[in-house]
Parts: sequence; structure tokens; C-alpha cells
Amino acid sequence: MPETVAAILVKHSRKPENLIPILQDVQKELGYISPESVKDISRYLRISENQIFGVSSFYAQFRFTRPGRHSLKVCLGTACHVRGGATVLDTLENVLGVKCGDTTPDARFDLERVACLGCCALSPVVQIDKRIYSRVAVNKLSELLKFYE
Amino acid sequence: MTKERMLSITIDNKQIQVRSSQTILEAARDNGIVIPSLCAMEHLPPYGACRLCVVEVDGLRGFPTSCTTPVENGMVIRTGTTELKSLRQEILRLTLGEHPASCLFCGEADECKKYQGTIRKVGMTTGCRYCSNDDRCELQQLTERIGLTETSYPVYYRNFSVEKYDPFYDRDYNLCILCGRCVRVCNDVRLNATLAFKQRGKLTTIGPAFDRTHLEAGCEFCGACVDVCPTGALSPKVSKWSGKADADISTTCVYCSIGCQIRLQTKNNKVIDALPDYASSVDHGLICVKGRFAVPEYVHSAARYSNPREMTPMGYNDISWEDAITRAADRLKDVGPDQCLVMVSPELSNEDLFVAQQFARQAIGSENIGSSLMIELGDDLLPFIDLATRTEPFSVMGEAQAILAVGFDSTHGYSPIGIAVKRAARRGAFLATLNSAESNLDMLAEVSCCLDEGDWANVLDRIRLGTLEPSSTKPASDGPDAWGEEVKKIAQAFKGSAGSVVIIGEQVLTSAGRHEILQALLKIREELSCKMVVAHPYTNLCGMVAVGALAGLEPGQAVRKGASEAALPFAPRPIDFTKPRKVVYLIGEAPSSGLPECDYLIYQNALPGGFPRQPDLILPTSLFSEAAGTIINAEGRILQVREAVAPFEDSKPDWWILSRIAEKLGKGKPKYATLSAVQQEGKKQVKGVSDSRKKVEFERVSYAAVRRTDGGTDSGDSRRKRKHARYRGIALSDVVEGMKVIRRNNE
Amino acid sequence: MNNLTKRIESAKEKWEAFQKNKEPIIYIGAASCGRAAGAVQLLAQTDRWLKENELAAKVVQVGCIGPCYLEPLVDIQMPGQPRVSYNNVTPKLLPVILGSHVGESVPYAKAAIGHFGKEPLNGIPRFFDLPMLKPQVRVVLRNCGLIDPEQIDQYLAVDGYQGFMNALKTPPDDVIGVVRRAGLRGRGGAGFPTFKKWTACRNAPGNQKYLICNADEGDPGAFMNRSLIESDPHALLEGMLIAGYAIGASHGIVYIRAEYPLAIERLYQAMQQMRDYGLLGEHILDSDFSFDIKVKEGAGAFVCGEETALIGSIEGKRGMPKSRPPFPAISGLFGCPTIINNVETLGTLPNILRNGPDWYNRFGKEGNRGTKTFSLVGKVRRQGLIEVQLGTSLREIIFDIGGGLQKPFKAIQTGGPSGGCLSEEFLDLTVDYESLTAAGSIMGSGGLIVMDEDTCVVDLAKYFLDFTQKESCGKCTPCRVGTRHMVEILTKITHGEGSAEDLLALRTLGDTIKKGALCGLGQTAPNPVLTTLRYFRNEYLEHIKEQRCRAVVCKDLIEYRVIKEKCTGCQSCVKVCPTGAISGPRSEPHNVDKTKCIKCRSCYVTCRFEAIAGDAIVIGSVEKTS
Repeated sequence: MPETVAAILVKHSRKPENLIPILQDVQKELGYISPESVKDISRYLRISENQIFGVSSFYAQFRFTRPGRHSLKVCLGTACHVRGGATVLDTLENVLGVKCGDTTPDARFDLERVACLGCCALSPVVQIDKRIYSRVAVNKLSELLKFYE
Repeated sequence: MTKERMLSITIDNKQIQVRSSQTILEAARDNGIVIPSLCAMEHLPPYGACRLCVVEVDGLRGFPTSCTTPVENGMVIRTGTTELKSLRQEILRLTLGEHPASCLFCGEADECKKYQGTIRKVGMTTGCRYCSNDDRCELQQLTERIGLTETSYPVYYRNFSVEKYDPFYDRDYNLCILCGRCVRVCNDVRLNATLAFKQRGKLTTIGPAFDRTHLEAGCEFCGACVDVCPTGALSPKVSKWSGKADADISTTCVYCSIGCQIRLQTKNNKVIDALPDYASSVDHGLICVKGRFAVPEYVHSAARYSNPREMTPMGYNDISWEDAITRAADRLKDVGPDQCLVMVSPELSNEDLFVAQQFARQAIGSENIGSSLMIELGDDLLPFIDLATRTEPFSVMGEAQAILAVGFDSTHGYSPIGIAVKRAARRGAFLATLNSAESNLDMLAEVSCCLDEGDWANVLDRIRLGTLEPSSTKPASDGPDAWGEEVKKIAQAFKGSAGSVVIIGEQVLTSAGRHEILQALLKIREELSCKMVVAHPYTNLCGMVAVGALAGLEPGQAVRKGASEAALPFAPRPIDFTKPRKVVYLIGEAPSSGLPECDYLIYQNALPGGFPRQPDLILPTSLFSEAAGTIINAEGRILQVREAVAPFEDSKPDWWILSRIAEKLGKGKPKYATLSAVQQEGKKQVKGVSDSRKKVEFERVSYAAVRRTDGGTDSGDSRRKRKHARYRGIALSDVVEGMKVIRRNNE
Repeated sequence: MNNLTKRIESAKEKWEAFQKNKEPIIYIGAASCGRAAGAVQLLAQTDRWLKENELAAKVVQVGCIGPCYLEPLVDIQMPGQPRVSYNNVTPKLLPVILGSHVGESVPYAKAAIGHFGKEPLNGIPRFFDLPMLKPQVRVVLRNCGLIDPEQIDQYLAVDGYQGFMNALKTPPDDVIGVVRRAGLRGRGGAGFPTFKKWTACRNAPGNQKYLICNADEGDPGAFMNRSLIESDPHALLEGMLIAGYAIGASHGIVYIRAEYPLAIERLYQAMQQMRDYGLLGEHILDSDFSFDIKVKEGAGAFVCGEETALIGSIEGKRGMPKSRPPFPAISGLFGCPTIINNVETLGTLPNILRNGPDWYNRFGKEGNRGTKTFSLVGKVRRQGLIEVQLGTSLREIIFDIGGGLQKPFKAIQTGGPSGGCLSEEFLDLTVDYESLTAAGSIMGSGGLIVMDEDTCVVDLAKYFLDFTQKESCGKCTPCRVGTRHMVEILTKITHGEGSAEDLLALRTLGDTIKKGALCGLGQTAPNPVLTTLRYFRNEYLEHIKEQRCRAVVCKDLIEYRVIKEKCTGCQSCVKVCPTGAISGPRSEPHNVDKTKCIKCRSCYVTCRFEAIAGDAIVIGSVEKTS
């Protein structure tokens, strides 16, 4: 068992209700839920790998492939939608040449959509890694991306 | 048990009395009120997803589902108002939005049903008859009941490729309506958790983790998911195109010593499928892959013998039964008691075994009644019989507080025991496993010891000593205390609990350290008064011992008759399998090694065996699906094997063949014309097995006369062979395609 | 208890001393929204500025005071002077403000929006007299933006935990009685009377009971809960103590969206402070009441806002709802009686217990007592977090508080994706549970999205249905398949391929889903479509019959054109066009190649904002060539 996963497991008791917190910690550490980590969690919590996959694939938070270097999230909450969030996403798909939910071939960006970042009054907003950009303009997006390599 | 409170409710103006633990749907069902439903099913926890069983309840908002709503006293329920009816129709329309519906709404549907024979022609043209579930589809029935005749919504064909890469059943998730029955049966009934819902919303699919095959994901291939699927999404490979069965015959599976009750599905004198029986008190419907999927292909194998055959210099010649019986009698007529060897299979019925021992003893006059299990177990035959004949009822798991499973894995066999163990672990019982490779119980085990078979005995001894005297869990030899922690934990659990159970799995019998392990287990039984459950492959071993179909055992000698009669220990007599004989007579036996040299080999079986020596005479027998009888399972229950189809071609039951040869020989009793004649005689000679409601109990095994036999009765080769489930000497994996895949995967 | 009394006394002293400050205090609104607007950069800049100018000042991060459209907000309080609030502070403006106000003690009136004093100040209005704030009643939000959310002492100084201490002196059944008399209804959506749920749970057999705080604020366009937790976490936690005490629970769980990292951080911090003060754990304040709280982060599933799905998620399962009955109050988390209350419901409790039910009854109207927070967003001028009495009219909210719209009002969506879209004729509707339901909408958790004529209601309905469809757990057929059918039909209509029968199908589907779906998510999913069908039928018909989208939103029905007379040929649009659809030499009118144009709006925006451009690019309905 890789040490990172083992270190995560010992922080939680062997109760099935700890599955989601464990998965969250694993994803925080590895960036994604690897098949190997699922096996380790399965042993630890005594839940089958299939059930773990069933639970983790239900929640939008979890991914099963290695992430790109930067996470690029476009908010498509209602306020952002009304103020052109979908256009922002379309433009980004065009600029990056990938569909929403995919990683660029050079692994620079993960392009994702989020339901709402809770900054509705500043819509439309885009989140790159931890930073939220408010009132983004479609014609300024390319410039913004240049800050991230 | 305290009596359940009864409540009074009103359904559709009818006042009824119901049990307080019931849901509305269950209460209605019990009272003959039909509420259409799809995802609900007996034995499965309520789910409430298909929404078809909606009803109106006074005081409850909206339209609650009857399958999830518990009854309450004084409840007033309506099940068939106009609004409900149209709501159901609309909901069903939505259900059919994910399910190709041309078979339901085609204008030709009625005609089509009438002329089922034209499946190919019609199906080829319109595609609607491509569903193997046609005419036994619950969705079809429901559409008719709900009265839906059209749908205006489009069908979202999900375009999944049909999954055919796993053995035994195909999966076409384009037909799946996500009712969740399969997921629930896999998780909540079988406790196997191979199937899970994946993703969510309209992307929801069913299957194992990532994109694994079922084989990779630990599927038991118990087929429970296939049985509960209301559509054609899951279908058995062998029987999917066979259509509706003509008859359903309850019988006993003879593929291992558990004796699960199965329901053979027959059509046109053929077994097309085998289904579980959830009402069975032996296995509770929890049959394994063998009972579920390995029957039709075995009993209808293309390799089956249809006629008696005789070896000639030019090869085999078909001969008549009369000739065959004469040939056999001629050969056996003048043979001396020790020049002959009769080998019987533990997969034979009590009746066949009874006749076989009479045949050897009286018609031939020989006590040389052997079995391949003697070859396989060698010197360990006695301890094994000792453990196996005193196996506790499987229900002991129900109250067990601590369970140790030694060399046991229930992935592809012994699932009723495996599931009972899993259930116990889920309820909080302590579970430990001792294995040489990962077992399917490890997941739920508190302690898993995975170590070389040669070291098992040592660990078992330390557990025993540790339980008796906590300070003495130290290893017998010096060196690092491997498994010390585990041993201590198991010992602690065993010490603290009254109901400790040890499960002895098949792997013990094939292991390198078998002798020491069995000795260690016997000591545990004696000293810790643990309850033992032996999960072994020798189907009717108990019957064999009871009727005395082993050298040195008289009929009924080993059976305990009651406290009044003096108990006498019993022991079968060893046989020298290396000694050349004049005639060897194999009854349902096909030992792949250890077969003694002989001048003449009579082979009475259904399929060719894997041994190098070509039989001189082949006598084709009927199989358990064709000939009735009884067996005694590992718990000592007497179980019925029923005739489901007529004997294959010119094959005959074993007892019949033996009786005819005995007649010809003119010696001894076994000249039976009917099965009931055999049973009557059996009753007389074998006391204590007459009442099928009472469990057969055995006397103690006598170790007094133990002497080591000479010669290679204990070759590693024979042990390895046993690892694959066999019936009448033939490995199921040699006959059944899917078992071959599983075997390859396990190797 | 004595220990705490002492602590409260010292907290109050500290607070007073803090108010009578000797050195300047600089408050920076640094909740998530403030941060998104640049508060973090301003914080760093302020520190730098103070150092460079060798001035001493206290810099305090506060939560969100409400008017998000003013973010980032920087407040400055000089010794002996009232606190003055500056809005939309840019890095350029900050040194000017600091230089004037901190450096020279002269409020920089030009950039100030309001002050918190009693007397008039240099022509700056009082903050709470601002048109956005004046009509509001701050009960739940009373501390937001005013105290430091990271200091329990400041919360104690403003009578924090007083409500809980009052509760602790009262038998639990009487606490429930107080809540009953206050007329508090669940603020999570349906408005079920809080005391009824509590009574059922209190009376349910079982030693183990749970209190869950539902902070899984999943409605897009709603952020009231995030703001409250970020700005005043102790208000929620005190509410949980009160509720836990009343129902007899010993365990509380806050189920919160993982997308709210700052709120989670503040909760952990606040819980540690509670522990230090003996307000959490065994024998709280030496009483017989023991209570502990855990935080569980959601993993991204809107449906987990539904009670039974939320319970499943906490148990480590897929968040799929279960049929009720049995209700969670009888059999919930791990099969134990469980109460799930919304953040706002819990946040209101301390006020009720502190001031009494009669005080709370002063707000709102019969049957709808108290106040409700809303996130007012969309095309309204003054966006932000607001709190009003129940019974306030939509007109007051939109026009008095929100300052109206720049373009004519078209619709307002209440209750998020589960709510309805109301037209102009409902502007005088009072906001209360019953009126909204009667209009086909719901109160929901409190998102108010205002739309003008640039919003296409068909597109909006499609947006909401697409959202619920993507967030549907997939368990029950009506929701899984029904919403999908609806989205397909709406998509067809926005493509101009709809037919009149489609409108009938939408109605039937909506009706079936409402009646047949398993959980609240499904049952309310059709609301946006059903209400728009009812109140904006004409717009649907325009899409169907004329292939026209009057808001020029539906891409298939619009095109981009250059008005030759206006085009200056500046080439700004040529540069931003991602597909090279615009061409034309410099100084000559450009041209849009409609086959290449993806309608991304880049050129349109550029043409509006580049100084040299001439508003030449327009969006209009596709011109039919006959």
C-alpha cells in the first residue's frame, strides 16, 4: 500500500460512513481516485471495490483519471447563466480545444463546470485553481489563461 | 417469538387484517389485491424506484408507493382510482422511454405471439424479436395489465454494446430499466457486492468497479441477478433462446455435499435451466454457480453415451443391453473375491450405493468396495469421515459468535455456507480466515491469516492452546513470532464466546499438510468443543457411509439408531489400489490416476472419463436429472432427487444395471425391478435413515484398526485434480463451457 | 456557567475598548465574494501601505455585510469617529482612501458609500439608511460584516450564546414551546413548522438522536448560508446547541458543500473556540447536556440537499433519496430519530431564545412569522444578500432594495431550480410560503434571480431542467426519464424545431413528474417549465411558430451582423474572433462569415467596449431568405 493512502486510512476509523471523507482525502492527496487506492480502501472499510466505485462515481467531486496541472472551473449557476456563463464555457472549449470535463492534451488544464460557486453577485465567474475571477469577459479569457502554464 | 401485532386497514373499501411489519404492497398481495409493481420483489428490500405501485392514502400527501409505505392502523388506501390509473400509464410510458418497446406496441404483436415459431423470420425483418426474454418478460405483462397501448415519447437507445465476455450470462443494458433488483440481490441477499449502480442520473449504469469484467470483479456467477431481472437485460447464455419452460421440477443438486434444492426447468424432455428455490430450508435459494448454470450443459453433453459399448480389436461396437449384461456377468462369474474391485462414486444416490454394495458383496462375493475418495484421502480418510459425518447443521452460523474458516472459499461453491458466514460477520460475529491465498471471506474477516498450507496445523494448534491457556500462544518453534497477533486475537474471540464455529473448506483436503491439519482440527473439536462444519465436495459421502458402500462397513452400521442400542465405533477397511486385479468395475467413477491395473475394465457412467486405460465395456447410465433417488447431505438431511426428464437415449439407472447383472449372475439379493423395491429393502437394512424428516446421525469413527496402507495412494496429482468440482468423476470444467473459463481464471 | 459569565464580561469590556479605539481600524470584507472581488489583494496592499507610511492600524477581516455589488468593501474607523464604508475599492483607489482617511483623518467622501455613526458626516449618508438597507430587517444577519467571525469574544460581546443559556434554564419541551409560539417555519424550502418536526423526534423512542444542519446549499444562485457561516459561524452553532438540547440529541452534524472552503474553515475554528469555552462536548456549562458537532463535507451532488439523500451521503452511500414514510424524525441517520434543519432556521433560533417568541412575532405576518434572507442577483442594480420580513412584496425587494433594473423587468425566479418563474403581474405578490406556492413557485432556500428582456425564458427553463436532469440521482423513473424528455423537447424548441404538441407534452410530463417522482427534487423539477408555460406562453409560441427568440439568446435563432455604416474598421473584433469568422481590411467595414461564426459574443462585447469601435456589431433574429 502506498504510504500516502495508508496514512490517510489510519486517520479514519473502519466504519463505512467514513468512505466519503477517505475518498476526499485521497483525492486531495493524489489528485484522483486510483484503482489501487480503491482496493486499499476496500480492505480497510470492508466494502467491496465495486460498491466504492458506485459511491464515488455518484458524486461529481471524484475523478478517476490523473488531473491536469490547473483546474479551470466555469460557474454555470443561474446568475452566471443569465450573465453569459455558457458563452464563457463555449469560448474556453474553443480556445483550449477540449470539451467540458476533459483535460487538455498537454495536461495544462482540466476544464470543468460547477453548479455554483456562490459568488452570484459577481457573475459570471471562473475559478482557476484556488482563485476566483469575477465578472470575466469572453474577450479577455485568452489573456487570463496566459498566467497559467 | 412474540406474536406480531395485527392491524386493520382498508384497501379499496375492503377491510383487512394485516401484520404490523408489512408494507401496503405486501398486505395487499397477501389479501389477493393486485397492485402493479416492478422494482418490488419478495426477498429484496423495498426500493421505491419504478413508482408503478403508487396508491392513494388518506392523510398522506401525494401518491406514496405501496412497496415502501408501512401499514398503519386504520389506514384507508385506494389502489385503482382513475387518477392513479392514468398516472401509472404515464409513468410506464416514461419507463419505456429507456426500453425498446416495439415488442409491446407492434400492431402485429398478437399474431406474432401465436406464431412463435417464426422468431427468426420476423425478428430478422423488424428487429423486435431479438429480445430473448420475449413472452416471459415482466415488462410486457405489466404493460398489458396497466393497459398501455402506445407511447408518443422517443426511446433513448443507449447504444451499449452487449456484454458477452463473461461466462454464463450475457448483459444487454440497453434493455435495463434500472429497477435495481439485480443490485439489491447481489448486495443484500448474496452479500457479494459485485454489482453496483455507477454514475448517476441518466448516465446511471450497473456493473462492477471501473470497467472490469464480472470475472475480474469477483462475481460468483450465482445467477441471482439473472433470475430477478424483469427484462431481457440479463440472460443465461445456454438457455436464453429456449423460451418459456414447460415444467418446473424441484430436485436436489448433486454437485457437492450441501444438497441445494434447485428447480429444473424443462422443455421438450430437456433440462433448459436450473433456478434457485428461495423456500428451501437447506440453502434458502442461495445456490452457487454449479447448481445454477452447470446442469443443462452437463446432462445434455454431446459426449454422453447413448448405448452400451464393447471394445473390440476394431474399436468400440454398440451392443444391446442384453449383450452388455451377459458380457459383464461372464467376466464377473468366476472372479475371486480379491481379484475384483468395485469402485463407487460418492455422487451416487443412496439407492444406487445400496444396490452397489449388495452387488459387490452378494453377487460377486467381494468386500473390495472402494471409491476414488479413498485414493484421494489416503491415510486421512478416517479423520475426514470423522469430521464430515459429524458436521453441525448449517444453521449454527445463525448464532455463532466466533467463526474460523480454514481453507474455505465460497466464490464458486458452498455459497449457502459462505453467505451464512458473511451474514454472521455483518451482524457482528468475529470472523477469522486461514488460507494460502486470498479468500472471498477475507473482506469481512476481522483477522485473515494467509500462509503456506504447511504451517496451518501449527497455527491451529496455537489457537487451540491459546484458547485453553492464553499465555501459551507462543510458537512451538523458535524464531520470529509470525502470526502471533492474529493467533492471539482468534484465541481471545474463541475463548470469550460460547458458540464458536470452525468451517473446514475444500482446500484442507487438497493441502500439502492435510494430515497434520486434520489432526489439529480434531483436537480443536475435542478440546474446545467447537462446532464444526465441513464443506466438502463428496456429495453423498454420508449416504455412502450409511448404506455401507465402503469396504469394511456394513449397511447401517455407522448410523446411530438411538440411545438404547450400544454405540459401536466404525471404520472402513483400507483397500490396496496398487494391486493388479482381474476385473475393475467403475460405477460413476473415473479416477484420472491411481486406477489399478486390470484385465477387464467395466465403466458404468454417462460421459467418457479422463483415464488412459480404455474400458472394455461401457454401460451408459442415467444422470440425476433422469433417475430419482435420495441423498444425505453434509448435515445429515435426507433429500430427494427427482426425475425431471426421461433417461437419455438408451441409458439406465445404476441400480437397474447392477440388478440386471446380478440376475444374470444368479447370486445375491439385488434383483430389483423398481426403485421403490430398492428403497424398501434399504429401509430394512439401514435403520435410522427411513424418516426423511429426521436427520441422520452417525456413530463415532474407530481409530483402533488404523494401519498405514502401502503404496502410492496419496499422490499429489490426485489432490490437485479434486480442486475442480466433479460429478461422477468428470470435472464440470471439462463439460461446461463457463466452468472452463472460471477454471482458467483461477489457475 | 460562572466561568462563561466572566468570559462574557471580559469580552464585553474588550469589545468596548475596541470600539473606543486608540488607533485606526480598517475592516475589509473578506468573505468568499469579497475575496473573489479582490479583497485578498487589498489586504496585502493595506499592510504594505501602512508599513510604507509608518502608520499603525488594526486590520480586521470581516464577513459579508450584504450588498455584494459594492464589493470589495473597505471600512475605516478613526479613533472617536464613526466607521466609514468605501465601496468597489480598486488597488488604484485604495492608497487614495487610506492617505486621506487614515493619513489625514479626513474621510474620502468621494468614494464613501455610507457610515455607521448616528450624526451626519461630511455629506456621507448613514450606511443603514442606504436605499438597499433601509427596508431590511436584520435578525439572522445581525452580526454579518460587523463583527470578526474568527473571534468568539466578539460574538459573546453582542449577546452571543445568551439564547442558548436561556434554553438551558428551560425544560426541552418548553424550548419547543417557545419555538412553536414564535411561529418559526423551516427555512429550507417547504416551510414545515419547526416545532412539529422537533416534537416528533423528541417523542420518538431511542437513546441516540441526531441533529443535522443542512448546509448543502446547492441551488445555483443562492449563497445565504455560505455568507452566514463565513460571517457569523457562532450564530449557526449556537442554534445547533439549542436544537440539539430541545430534541434530545447528543450529536450534531453540519453537512456542508465542499465548494465552501472558507465556511468550513471558519466552522472548525469556531467549534474549537466553543470547546475551549466549554460550549461543546460533555456536560456543557456544567449542565447535564452533552453535545458534540462534526463537519461532513458534501461531495458534489445537488440531490443531497434532500433529507434522505443527505442521510445516505453521511452514511457513506450513494446520495439516493428514500421514500417517506418513515420520516427521518422517526428513523433517520443510522436508523435513529434525526432532525435536519436548514442553516437559516438554526441561525434564527438564538434570536428567538434570546428575545422571546413575542419579539419574533413582531416580524412578518400571521402564519408567516419572522424574517427571511435572500440572495438577490441577476439583472438587478444592487445585488447582494438581503433580509426582509416575510410578507414583503416582490416589488419592494426588486425596486426598493435592489434598485430596479437597467432594462425593463421581465421575470423573477424564486426558489432556485425547484421554484417558478414569475412575470410582471406578480410584482405585488407578497413573499410568503403560501402566496408563492399558489403562484406555482416555492420559497425554496431563498434565491431570487431577476431577469430583464435579455433573458429568454425558454432558454431559462431549459437551463433549469438541464440542471435538475444532470443532478437527478437516477433512481426513480419519472425524474430520470421525464426530465430528460423535457430537456429534449425544450432543446428542440430553442432550436426552432418545436411544435404546438410539444407544449402539451411538456405539461403532461411536468404533471407526471410532479405526482410520480420519489423526492422533492423530482417533484419540484418541472416548476420552472410549468410556470414559464403559464406566464410566458407567447415566448414559447414565438420560438415555435416564428423561429424567433426575442431576447436574442437562443443561438440557432440569431445571427451576428455588422452594420456597415457604423463600423470603423478598427479590427478589434477580428483579433478576438476565435474562429476567424470576421474579416475585412483596416478602416473598411468588416464582415461576419455566418458559416464560421460560433456566436461566442466576443466581437459583440469588444465592439461595445473598445473606444475606437462603433457599436457596429449587432445580434438579431436570423433573417429569413425567401
